[in-house]
Amino acid sequence: MATLSLQNVQKSYGGLQVLHGIDVELEDGGFLVLLGPSGCGKSTLLNLIAGLDDISAGDIRIDGRSVVELAPKDRNIAMVFQSYALYPTMTVERNIGFGLEMRGINGIERSAAVKKAADLLQISHLLDRRPANLSGGQRQRVAMGRAIVRNPDLFLFDEPLSNLDAKLRAEMRTEIKRLHGRLGTSVVYVTHDQIEAMTLGTKVAVMKGGYIQQFADPQTIYEKPANMFVAGFIGSPPMNFVTGTLTSDGRLARFEAPGVRVEAPMSSGEIFRAKAAVLGIRPEELKIADVTGSMLTGTIDVIEPTGPDTIVTVRVGDQAVVARLPSRFSSKAGDGVYLRAELAGLSLFDAVTEMRIQL
Amino acid sequence: MDTGSHLPKTGMIGELSETRYWIYLLLLPSLVIILLVIAYPTIYGMAISFREMRLTRPGLNGWVGFKHYLVMIDDPVFWVALKNTVLWVTFAVVLELGLGFIAATALNRNVPGTGIFAVLILVPYFLPNVVAGHMWALLLDPRLGVINDILVRIGILNSYKAWFADPNTALAATIFVEAWHGFPFFALLLLAGLKGIPQDLYKAAAVDGAGPIAEFRLITVPMLKSVIAAAVILRVISLVNSPDLLLILTGGGPGDATQVLSLYAFQTAYKDFNFGYASALSVVMFVILMVFAYAYIRLSKIGRE
Amino acid sequence: MAATRRSRRMAADILTYFVLVSMSLFCIGPIAWMFLTSLKLEADIVTQTMQYIPNRITFQNYVAIWTQSSFPVLIGNSFIVTLITVIVCLATGTLAAYAFSRYTFKGRNTLMLGYLVVRMFPAVMMIIPLYVVLRSVGLIDSRIGLALAYTSFLLPLFVWMLKGFFDAAPKELESAARIDGSTRFGAMLWIVIPLARNGLVASSIFVAIAAWNEFLFALMLTTGQGSRTWPVGLQLMVGEFQLPWGVLAAGGILSILPVMLMFALVQRVMVQGLTAGAIKG
Repeated sequence: MATLSLQNVQKSYGGLQVLHGIDVELEDGGFLVLLGPSGCGKSTLLNLIAGLDDISAGDIRIDGRSVVELAPKDRNIAMVFQSYALYPTMTVERNIGFGLEMRGINGIERSAAVKKAADLLQISHLLDRRPANLSGGQRQRVAMGRAIVRNPDLFLFDEPLSNLDAKLRAEMRTEIKRLHGRLGTSVVYVTHDQIEAMTLGTKVAVMKGGYIQQFADPQTIYEKPANMFVAGFIGSPPMNFVTGTLTSDGRLARFEAPGVRVEAPMSSGEIFRAKAAVLGIRPEELKIADVTGSMLTGTIDVIEPTGPDTIVTVRVGDQAVVARLPSRFSSKAGDGVYLRAELAGLSLFDAVTEMRIQL
Repeated sequence: MDTGSHLPKTGMIGELSETRYWIYLLLLPSLVIILLVIAYPTIYGMAISFREMRLTRPGLNGWVGFKHYLVMIDDPVFWVALKNTVLWVTFAVVLELGLGFIAATALNRNVPGTGIFAVLILVPYFLPNVVAGHMWALLLDPRLGVINDILVRIGILNSYKAWFADPNTALAATIFVEAWHGFPFFALLLLAGLKGIPQDLYKAAAVDGAGPIAEFRLITVPMLKSVIAAAVILRVISLVNSPDLLLILTGGGPGDATQVLSLYAFQTAYKDFNFGYASALSVVMFVILMVFAYAYIRLSKIGRE
Repeated sequence: MAATRRSRRMAADILTYFVLVSMSLFCIGPIAWMFLTSLKLEADIVTQTMQYIPNRITFQNYVAIWTQSSFPVLIGNSFIVTLITVIVCLATGTLAAYAFSRYTFKGRNTLMLGYLVVRMFPAVMMIIPLYVVLRSVGLIDSRIGLALAYTSFLLPLFVWMLKGFFDAAPKELESAARIDGSTRFGAMLWIVIPLARNGLVASSIFVAIAAWNEFLFALMLTTGQGSRTWPVGLQLMVGEFQLPWGVLAAGGILSILPVMLMFALVQRVMVQGLTAGAIKG
C-alpha cells in the first residue's frame, strides 16, 4: 500500500513531446484511472510509472520516495498487461510465482503464496497448464494472479480487459473491483472505456494529447465536466451539445437557441452580452414536459427502443438532441415534443475555448 | 537462501543492463568485429586500388594514383568481362525468376505432398558451389556426360558435345548451371510473397467475373512486385560478386568466353598476386553495382522495405 | 457446369503435380546421378554405353577418398572453421540482433542499413585486404583467421535473420519479466532467448551451411594442410591428381551429407526465417 505522486511528468521522443507536465496525486489505497482515446499518452504514463521507459523531466514518487532512478524490478510494483504477457514456456504456477522466484523466495514459501493467489482468483485447478491451453478469461486471471502474489505497493493495469468479450469484460470488471476492495492496494488503471473508469476509479484523470483534461472523482467528471472534450468522452449516448447565445445581467443567465430557452440564476455575477456558448445536456437528464415548463421544443425524428428505455432523437431548430426516455414512450416520429431537464444536470461551455462556464 | 530458485542471478551484467549503457554494450561486440573485418578492410581495399602491390615483386610498392584505372580502360579483357557479366547476370536472373515463379505457383496450390516437393526443390540452393560445379561437369562431360547421352538418344544431338569447351556454348552452359543452383531462392521468396496475398482478393475477383489471366495480371503481379524487386536485386548482387561457379567450371575459358569481372579480379589477385589492379577492378565492380542498385531501387520504389 | 468445373480443377491438379514432379527431378536428378556415379567402378563410368543402373555396386570410391587423400583432415578443418564462425556469430550477433529488435536509438537505421550494404561488397574487394591484414597479424592460413573472414559477410546476415525471430516475441513479455524482478539482461536471457530458440538454431545452421560450403575466401586465405577446408582441397585434388570421377563423386556426396542433414533438421523454421530476413533485406 502506498501513495503515488506524479509531479510535472514529461516525456518526449526525440523532438516529439508526448506528455506535457502531468501532475497527479493518488491517496493510499486509491484507484486511479487514466482515461482517454488512443494516443493520448496514458499508456506512456503508465510505462513511466513502471520504469519501463525513462522519464524526460519531472518526478514520480511512490510513498514519498522518488523512483525515477530505480529499475522496474526495484520499484515494488506489479503490472497486468493488455496481452497478459504470460511466459509461454512456463506453467501457470511458475508464471504466477516468477516474480517471487526472481526475488529469491524459496520454493515452499513460493508455492504457498501462489496457492493463496490462485485460490483468490479461482484458478487453482489450472496451475499445471501452460498459457497456450487457457481461455482468454483464464489467462486474464493468471495475469492478475502474477500481480497480486507479490503483494506490491502499487498495481498497474494496462487496458487489462480490452481483449475480452463483452460478457467476460463485465465479469472481470466486478472481479477487479472486489479484489481492490479486499486487498486495498493502490491501483493505476489505464483504459479507454468510460464505463470501466466510472465503475472502478476513485480518481479519474481524463487525458488527451499528452495533457490531463480533468482530474477528479468520477461523479464530478460526469456531472461537472471541465470542458467539452471530457463532457463528450464520458457518457453513452454522449452529451448533447446545443450551440446558442448566453446573456446575463449578473444575477440571471439566459441561454437561447432556435427552439431552446433556458434561464438559470447565477452567483458569479459575470455579465455576458450574447456570448457564443454551448449548452451540454446529458440524454438521461431530459424528460418530457408540457408547454409551460419546457426548455426545448422540437419534433421527433427517430425513435429507437432499447428495452429498458427509448432513445429518441429530436430536431430542435436545426440541431439534433438525443433524449433517453422511459420505455413507455407513446409518441411517434413527426410528433411535436417539449423537453426539460434539472438545472443541476446542465453544463455550459464557452463556444470558442470549449471550457466550462461557471455561472 | 534461494533454494527453490531455478534461475541463477545475472549479477553485474544484469545491473549494467538497467543503465543507459546497455544498448552500447549489446552492440559493441559485433561492432568491433564488423569494424575489424569489414570497415577496415574495405577502406584499406580501396586504398590498395591506388597503390602498386604485387606480392610476387615486393620491391614495387607505393602510390600510383589512378594508374590502375587508366590501365583498365585499355584492357580488352576488362571490356569482355564487363560484357559477359551483363549477359551472365541478365540471363541467369531471367531464367531463375521464370523457373522460380513456376515452382512457387505450383507449390502455392497446396496439393497433398507439397511439403516434400518444397524441400526437394530447395536442395540445390544449399549445395556447395564446388560440388555443384563438378557435378555438372560430370553430367555435361564431352565423353561420359549423361545429358549428352540422353540428348543423343532422343535425337536432339547427333553426337556428344563439349559444352564448356566450345566458345559458342560455354557461357550458355554456365548460365544454365547457375540457374539450376539459384532458382530455388526465387521459388522460396515468391512462394512467401504468394502466401502473403489475401485470398479475399481472389474471391472478389472471381465474383467480379475475372478469369485466371486477369487474376494473374491484376492481382498476382502487382501484389508480388515488391517481393520480385527485392529478390532480383539480392540475386543480382550475389551473381555479380561471386565467381565461384565459373572458377570451377571454366576458369573463364575457353579464351575469355566466360570471363566475368569478379572472376577476372579474383584471378588477378590469386594467380598474378597483382593486388593493386585486382582491387581497382573490384572497386569498379562495386561502383557499377551501387549505381545499378540505386537506380533500381529508385525505379522499383522498394526503398522503404 | 459442375462437371466442367470439377474437371477443370482436376486438370489444374494434374498440371501442378506434373510441374512439381519435373522440378523435383530437375533438382534432385543431378545429385542422384552423382550418387550413382559414386557407387560405380571407374570402368563402368568410363564406358562406351552409358550405365543408367549400375551393374556392380562398390564403396571403394568412398574408401579411396577417405584413406588415400587428406580428405579427413580437410573435413576436420572445415568443421572447426564452421564451429568458430557460428560461435562468433552467436556470441556477438545475438546481442546485436536483440538490440535492433528491441530498442530505438540514434543511428539504428543507418547501422542496420550498413549491415546490409556489406552484402554488396564484392568478395574480391574484401579478400585482398583481408589477405594482407591477416598475413600481417599472422593469421593467414589459420582456421581462426578464415573463420573471422567468414564473419565479415555472415555476421550481418545472421543479425538480420535473427532480428526477425526476436521481433516475433512480444515485447510485453520482457516488460512483465522486468517488473517481476529481472533485469533487462535477465529478461533477455530467460524469457526472450528461450522463445526465439528456433530462430537461433535456424540462423546458426544457415551460417554453418554457408561457412561449410564457402570456397573463394578459403582458396585465397589458406595455403597449407593446417587450415585448408574441404571445398578447396577437393578442387585442388581435381587439378593435381586427375581425381577419378567416382572418387570425386564420393567426396562430393560425403561433403554435402552434413549440409543435407542440418537442412532436413530445421527446414521448416529456416525457410520461414530465410524468407522473412530476405524480404526485409
